[in-house]
Amino acid sequence: MVRYEIRKVFSRASGKIALGMLAALVLVVSFIAIQSVEFVDADGNSSTGIGAAKSLREAKSEWTGYLTEDVFAEVIRRNAEIEASPEAQSKDWHENNRAFAKKQGFSDIRDVINSALCSFREYDYFRIDSATPDEASQIYERRITNLENWLASDEAKYMYSHAQKEFFISQYRKLKTPLYYEDTDGWDAVLTYSQTVVMLAMLILAFLVCGIFSSEFKLKADAVFFSSEKGRRSGTRAKILAGLAIITVIYWAVVLLYTGIVLFVLGVGGRNCPIQAGFHGWKSFYNITYFEEYLIAVFGGFIGTLFILTVGMLVSAATRSAVISVTIPVIVLFLPLFVRGLLKEGLSAVSLYLLPDQLLQAAYTVSFFTAYEIGGKVVGAIPLLFALYSVLFAALTPVLYWVYRKSEVG
Amino acid sequence: MELVISDLTKEFHGFRAVDHINLTMKNGVYGLLGVNGAGKTTLMRMLCTLLHPTSGSITCDGRDIFQMEEEYRKLLGYLPQEFGFYPDFTVNDYLMYIGSIKGLRPAFARKRVNELLHQVGMSKGRHKKMKKLSGGMKRRVGIAQAMLNDPGILILDEPTAGLDPSERIRFRNLISELAQDRLVLLSTHIVSDIESIANEILFMKDGKIRLSGTEEELLSSTWVRAWSCTVPLQDADRLQRQSLVSNRKTVPGGAELRIVSETQPIPSAVEEGLTLEDLFLHLFGEKGGDEHGEV
Repeated sequence: MVRYEIRKVFSRASGKIALGMLAALVLVVSFIAIQSVEFVDADGNSSTGIGAAKSLREAKSEWTGYLTEDVFAEVIRRNAEIEASPEAQSKDWHENNRAFAKKQGFSDIRDVINSALCSFREYDYFRIDSATPDEASQIYERRITNLENWLASDEAKYMYSHAQKEFFISQYRKLKTPLYYEDTDGWDAVLTYSQTVVMLAMLILAFLVCGIFSSEFKLKADAVFFSSEKGRRSGTRAKILAGLAIITVIYWAVVLLYTGIVLFVLGVGGRNCPIQAGFHGWKSFYNITYFEEYLIAVFGGFIGTLFILTVGMLVSAATRSAVISVTIPVIVLFLPLFVRGLLKEGLSAVSLYLLPDQLLQAAYTVSFFTAYEIGGKVVGAIPLLFALYSVLFAALTPVLYWVYRKSEVG
Repeated sequence: MELVISDLTKEFHGFRAVDHINLTMKNGVYGLLGVNGAGKTTLMRMLCTLLHPTSGSITCDGRDIFQMEEEYRKLLGYLPQEFGFYPDFTVNDYLMYIGSIKGLRPAFARKRVNELLHQVGMSKGRHKKMKKLSGGMKRRVGIAQAMLNDPGILILDEPTAGLDPSERIRFRNLISELAQDRLVLLSTHIVSDIESIANEILFMKDGKIRLSGTEEELLSSTWVRAWSCTVPLQDADRLQRQSLVSNRKTVPGGAELRIVSETQPIPSAVEEGLTLEDLFLHLFGEKGGDEHGEV
C-alpha cells in the first residue's frame, strides 16, 4: 500500500518535475557554497574551485594546532609585519591583494582576535592592526568579560533573567581553552548554506506530500478509498507512512548530496574543532564542535521539516485542499520573520524564537542568545526546540490519522 | 445476507436528502429509480459507510454497519457515480492498488485482476494508463474494482451514465452476470437499465421510497394506464400541454401520441400495456427523464 501511495506521488508529471527541480537547486546551492571559498595567490589574483580550496587549505595548515597565547601573539606580529609592507601600504588594490594573500593562512585566527578585542556587539575587521602582542594573553578572558559587560548593559539588562545570565556566563567559562584550530572552510560553507538547502527541500517536499491526502478528494477517488475494507485504517496509515518515507528519503538524500559535494571540494578537515575557533561561533554559548553543529543543523532541519509537513498534511486532510496545505510551510517560514520585526522585545518576541523555522536554520540559531527557564533550570533554545517539535510531531501524527480516517464523503 | 434500513434520514444544512426510509434487501438485484436529486446517491453513500445518517440505522444481518466497520466493508463493492481514479496509473496498477486497500494478498489480487479484466473485456487494455481510457472502458474498470473482493453486497451508482447504447447494453448484461448470489443495488434514472435485470424496483423521490416491488407488482398496483392515439398536429400540441405524453411520433397528417393517464384522454385513444417508463413519467412528471435524453 505504501509503495502505491509513493507511486501516486511520483507518477504525476508534476512530482517528477519537482524532484528534478530540487536536484537542480541543490547543485546550484552546492556550487554557490563552493564558490564562497576564495583563494588569493601571491600575485594577488583570486580564484575559486577545487584548486583554490586546496591552496587555501595548505596556507591554513601552517596554523593547525591549539590557539595558545603564543599563537595569538604570533598572528598579531605577522599581521603587523604584513601591514607595514609596501604592498599593504600601496594605493593599488592589486598590491593590497598581494598583502592579503600573505594573511590568508591566519585569517580565521585574525577573526577570533578581532572578535575578542572588540566589545560584544561590535566587530572591527581592522582591530588587529592596532593590537599589540601583549593583548594575546587576554583573548579568552576578553570573551567572557565582553559577555559580562554586555549582559550588564542597558541593551541586555532586562532581556534576560539572572539565571539566564548566569547560564550564559557559566557556559562561556565551561569552554575548554586553548581552542584547537584547523582549517574548517568546508564545514563553514556547508553550515552557511545549510538553511537554504533545508528550506528548499522543505518547500519542494511540501509540494510533493501535501497532495497525498487531498488527492483522493480532488480525483474523486475518495468514495472507493473510504468504502474499501482497509481504506480507513491501513490505507490512511499507508498515506502517513508514504508521506514520512518521502520526506525522510528525499530530505536526507538532498542534505547528504549537498554535504558530500561541498566537503568533497572544500575538504572535511576541522570537524572536531570547537565552533568558537571561527568567526561565526566565537560568541556562541553552545560548546560544540563543527561536526556537532552540522548534526544540529541537519537533524534540526529534519525535525522541523517533519513537523511542518505533518501540519501541512493535516491541513490537507482536513481541508481536502493541497493548495491551502502548501501555504503552511510558506507561512511558517516567512510569518515569524515579519512578526519578529514587529515584536522586538517582551515575552511574545522571545517565544517567537521557539517557532519551527528556528529548527530549519539551526546553524544560525546556535549563535543566538536565546535560553529558557523551565522548572528553575535554564536550557538553550536548541535542545528545547528539538524536544518540543519531536513531541509535537509525535502528537500530530495520530491526529492526522484520526482526522483522515473519519472523513465523510458527501 | 440481509440489509435492513430503518427510519433512515440524512440532512445537509436543513435539507433532507433522505427522508425516513425503511427498506429490507436480501440477495437479488434492486433497481433504484429516481430523477437527479432524488437522494439515491446519498442513500448509497450511507450504505457504503461514506456518510453517517442523521437518524435511523442500517443493519447487516442484524448488526449496525457503522459498528461493523471493516467487517462490513469487506462484504462491500462500490462503483460510485463519479468514479475517480489515479490518472497516471495503468489499469493493472490501479486494480492492484484497490486490491491492496481491499485487503487482498498480492498473489490473490493478481489472479483476481486477471479474471476480472477478462470478464469485463479489458485484458488487452491492462497496461494502458487510466487517463487514456474511454468512458466505457473506465466504467468497466470501475466494475472490476468493485468486484475485486467478490463482494456480497454490490452497490452501483448510475453505472451506465454517459455510456453509448452499445456500452449500456454490454454493461447491463455484465451486471446481470455478476448479480448471482449477491445483493446488488443499482441506481439509475434510466428506466431501461433496470427493467430487464432488477428483481425489485424502488422508485425514489424527494428522499423517500415512493413505490417498490417487482415490475409486475408495480404495474398492477396503479390505476394509471397508457393510451395511444393519432391526432392532428394542433390537437397534439394541446394534448401534450394537458396530459403526460410519454412519446410523440410525427406521422403523415398528424402525430401519434402515447399518453399516461388514469382516464381515457380522448375518445379515439386506445389502451395499451403500461410500462415502467410510463409509470416513471407518472411518478416524476415533467422532471421524469434524463437531462441527456436517455429515458
